Amino acid sequence: MSTSRTIQFTLNGRPATADIAANETIVDMLTNRFELRGARESCGQGLCGCCTVTVDGMAVSGCLSLAWFLDGKSVETVEALSKGGVLDPVQEAFIEAGAFQCGFCTPGFIMMVRQLLDAHPDPDEDEVRHYLTGNLCRCSAYPEIMDAVKLAAAKRKRASAA
Amino acid sequence: MAALEIAEPEKLDDAYTMLGTEEGSIRPMGGGTALMLMMKAQLFKPSKLVSLRKIEALTGFSLSVDASHIRIGAMTTFSELEQSPMIAQHLPVVTQTMKTLANVRVRNVATVGGNLAHGDPHLDLPPVWSALGASVRIVGVDGERVVPAEELFLGYYETVLAQGELIADISVPVRPGWRFFYAKVTTRAEHDWPALGLCVGVRAEGEVIADVSLVLSAAVDKPTRLKSAEAALRGVALSDAALAMAADAALAEVHIEGDGRGSAAYKQQLLRVHLGRAIKHVMQGSASA
Repeated sequence: MSTSRTIQFTLNGRPATADIAANETIVDMLTNRFELRGARESCGQGLCGCCTVTVDGMAVSGCLSLAWFLDGKSVETVEALSKGGVLDPVQEAFIEAGAFQCGFCTPGFIMMVRQLLDAHPDPDEDEVRHYLTGNLCRCSAYPEIMDAVKLAAAKRKRASAA
Repeated sequence: MAALEIAEPEKLDDAYTMLGTEEGSIRPMGGGTALMLMMKAQLFKPSKLVSLRKIEALTGFSLSVDASHIRIGAMTTFSELEQSPMIAQHLPVVTQTMKTLANVRVRNVATVGGNLAHGDPHLDLPPVWSALGASVRIVGVDGERVVPAEELFLGYYETVLAQGELIADISVPVRPGWRFFYAKVTTRAEHDWPALGLCVGVRAEGEVIADVSLVLSAAVDKPTRLKSAEAALRGVALSDAALAMAADAALAEVHIEGDGRGSAAYKQQLLRVHLGRAIKHVMQGSASA
């Protein structure tokens, strides 16, 4: 029992170790100890989704989760998605649909859209809204984001059929 | 956030013993969503958190062999309930409530026990458990006790839970013939905190409300059963006049509180309107089912 400890976990597919304080959030740890800035704190209350990462495949708010509990888990951030310079289909779709202006919220949206498409490969509009209601885009690129989701679903279907 | 210690006991009795005997502001932690918000806002500075996530005895949910009730472990997450076909079949109001409860990330970590123990009257599930007639099993150094969900709350962020007590699980009766609906009335975004929450259950016999269960939240300091309104509706045929009388009875028996999401006068009107709508909604559903 203490106020700090060393955690061992998998970060974007690679083993990682970090000496963290008990009050350190996942976002703080990723930013300050791993120079990963894709997940970023915006509202700080779990409402906006800018800090979305997955822990053992499940989306969480990185700003409301303590790094302490990552010991033994697998964490994925938006930085894991492009493989050898090739973008994830969801990333491609966001670019092609122009689904952002400033881009601050985009990593969180992309992480959540991947969750959505894992659960619903061919989502209807209600399912899209249900998954993305916890992601806010202050530039209000929502119509383009809806287009990007449809495009991403089509791209993933093509990729899995090929 | 202030510095703190974290303990992760694996046994339930270790957890409540720790909570009951140690000095300082020690707190149990379920999913931690509400606690993290309070800690980040510096509203609450615990010296130590006792995480319950390694205690297997608090996990899992299942239908009893005779299908009369569902036991839900305190550390069950909202997402687990939301995605369960068994819950959708036997407690459809719970599945319905998840549709407008926060967001995927919150539901992935928020737990049934933590949500109850937090005691915030704006939360969506406590009035639902109360209306369903759920009971809460509490364990602690002095033994075990079972409390009806609607008697768990004393007021804003206050419950009957003593230091050194933990919610182990809840038991929710499956009620054939009843139909429940949770009316979440928000005045900003759909997924915002409710200005008024109302869980309505009806057992209909044709057009007659044979039995009814009404629990109000968000506009009051704790989930509150509307006993007079229930009495006004029990055994009565559905009509606008009956619903108006029930609304009058409800408004006479509770003290409605105003907040940033609506004044007291506005919320009184919301209760009047949504009580009627919710009952009509479940009656129509019963007739067509």
